[in-house]
Amino acid sequence: MNSRERVLAMIDRRAVDRIPFMPITMMFAADQIGVKYGQYVSDYRMLVEAQLRTAERFDIDQVSCISDPTREACDLGAKVRFFDDQPPAFDESEAMLADKTILASLKLPDPLGGGRMHDRVKAAALLKERIGGDKIVEGWIEGPCGQAANLRGINRLMLDFIDDPAFVQDLLDFVVEMELRFARAQAEAGAGLMGVGDPASSLAGPVIFRQMLMPAHKKLVDGLRAMGLRTRSHMCGSTKRILKERGDLGYDIIDLDSMVPLTAARMNMPGEVLLGNVATVEVLRNGSVGDVIDTVSKCGMDAGDLYIVGAGCEVPRDTPEENMLALLEFARSHKPGAVTVVA
Amino acid sequence: MSSIKDLYDAILVGDAKKAHSATKAGIDAGLSPMDLIQQSMVPAMDEVGRLFEAEDYFVPELLLAGRAMKSAMELLRPLLIASGQKLGTRVIIGTVKGDLHDIGKNIVASMLEGSGFEVIDLGADVAPEEFVTAVQECEPRVVCMSALLTVTMPAMRTTIEALESAGLRDRVKILVGGAPVTSQYAAEIGADGYSENASGAVTLVKEVSSAA
Repeated sequence: MNSRERVLAMIDRRAVDRIPFMPITMMFAADQIGVKYGQYVSDYRMLVEAQLRTAERFDIDQVSCISDPTREACDLGAKVRFFDDQPPAFDESEAMLADKTILASLKLPDPLGGGRMHDRVKAAALLKERIGGDKIVEGWIEGPCGQAANLRGINRLMLDFIDDPAFVQDLLDFVVEMELRFARAQAEAGAGLMGVGDPASSLAGPVIFRQMLMPAHKKLVDGLRAMGLRTRSHMCGSTKRILKERGDLGYDIIDLDSMVPLTAARMNMPGEVLLGNVATVEVLRNGSVGDVIDTVSKCGMDAGDLYIVGAGCEVPRDTPEENMLALLEFARSHKPGAVTVVA
Repeated sequence: MSSIKDLYDAILVGDAKKAHSATKAGIDAGLSPMDLIQQSMVPAMDEVGRLFEAEDYFVPELLLAGRAMKSAMELLRPLLIASGQKLGTRVIIGTVKGDLHDIGKNIVASMLEGSGFEVIDLGADVAPEEFVTAVQECEPRVVCMSALLTVTMPAMRTTIEALESAGLRDRVKILVGGAPVTSQYAAEIGADGYSENASGAVTLVKEVSSAA
C-alpha cells in the first residue's frame, strides 16, 4: 500500500496497513532544503523541492501546496507584507476592505492569471508530475472566515458579524466563489485532496459559526466534493464548542489543533476521520522523543480507528528531526485501533 | 444607582450607545468617574473575561464589550484628568517586530483597560527601540509583548535586551504571551511572567503591578 492508497483507504473507511502520517509542513519544509521562506512562498519550484524532500525524509503521506494565507488576496490587489524568511502577512491598517463599499467592485481573480494563485497551481502540477501516484497531492485554499478576515481585517470582521451581517454574507459569498475557482484550478493541475485552512473560525463562537460560517463552509465543501476532491478541514485554535458542527459539514478529514481534546472530538464526531493533534511548540518542538511518543499514543487511543497522525498545526521551524521521526515511527508501527500507551 | 447597573449591563452585552448614555446619566446624577469605573466597568469586564475564559463569550462579544467600555471612557477620561485623579497603573502593550498579528494583543489590551489599567497600545510590528522610547516617555510599570509566530518570538528577547541596554529593565515588569510562547521560553528570555490566555494576562498584570 503506497501513501496515496493509504490516505484514500482511511478516508473511504477501508483497511489500511498502518496509520497515515499527514503533518502540515511549511517553514520546516523550506529548512529541509535550505531555502529562505520568502523564496518558498514565491517560487513554486522551491516549494515542490522542499515538499518532496520533506515527504521523503519523514515518509509523509501527502505532498502539499500550503504556504501562506495571502495568495488569493495578493491576486485581488491587497497589500501584503513580505519577509525574507517568514510567511507574508496582512497589515490590518491597510486592509483591502477597510472600506466595505469596495467589495461591490471586486472582481474574482483568475487562478491562472500569472499571479500568486497561479504559482500554487503550478506547484500542484509539478508535485503531481514528480510524485505520480505514490502520494496524494494536497492543494490548499483559505476557509471562508479566514479569507474574509484577510480582506476585511480580523478585528473589523469580528464586529461586522454583529454590526452588519448582510455585509458579512456578501463577503462570504464572494470568498466561497473565489476559493472554489482556486480549488478547481489546483484540482485540474493534479491535486486530489484539498486542504481548507480556516484559522479564524474558532474565534467567532458557536452561534455565529452555525448562522453564518457553517452555510459558507457547506457550500464550499459541497463544491469541492462535486469536483471529485477529497477534503481536509484545518482550523487553528479551540474549536471545542463547534465540534459537532465541524463533523456535520462533510469534510473527509477533520484536522484539530491541540487545544481540542480528541476524546471530545471523537464523542462529537463518532464517524469522522480525525487528524492531529500533538502540541506543536510544547511537545513537538520543545519536548523529548518520549514526550512525543506519549502524546501521540494518547491521541491515537482517544481518536480510535479513524485517525491520522499529525501535529495540532504547522510543524514549527527548528523541530528536532528525531521528534518528527518519532511521530513517523508511531504511525508506521500502528494499525488503526491497535494503539496502546507506550510506557 | 440605576446608572451603575445600566452601564454594567451595557458593557456586558456590548452596547456602546447604551454605555455612553448610562455614563452620561451617571455623571448627571452626581456619580464620580471612579464610582462608575470601579462599580460598573471593572466588574463588567471581569465578567466578560470570565465568560470568555469559559468559552461562553468569543472574540466578537469581547470586542463589543471593549467598544462599549471605550465609549464610556470617552466621557470619563476628561473628568478624571480635570480632577487630577490618576488613571490606573500604566501598561504598555504591543506585538513584537516582524509580527502583524494583533487580535490577541487587542483582546488583552481591552481587558486590561476594563480592569482599570491605563493602557498604551503601541500596535503591531513594534521594534525594540519603539518599546524603549515608549518606556522612556510614558514610564509604565508593566510592558506586555505578544507574538503569534515562532519566528517572531526572538524579538521578545531582543526587546528585553534593548531595555537592558537602555538601563530601563529594572523600571518595568515584562510579561509575554501568544500562541507559541511558553512559560519556559518566558523564563529563558528573562521575562517576569507569561500567560497563555487573556484573563490570565490581566491577573498577572495585577500581580506584578502591585508588587512593583
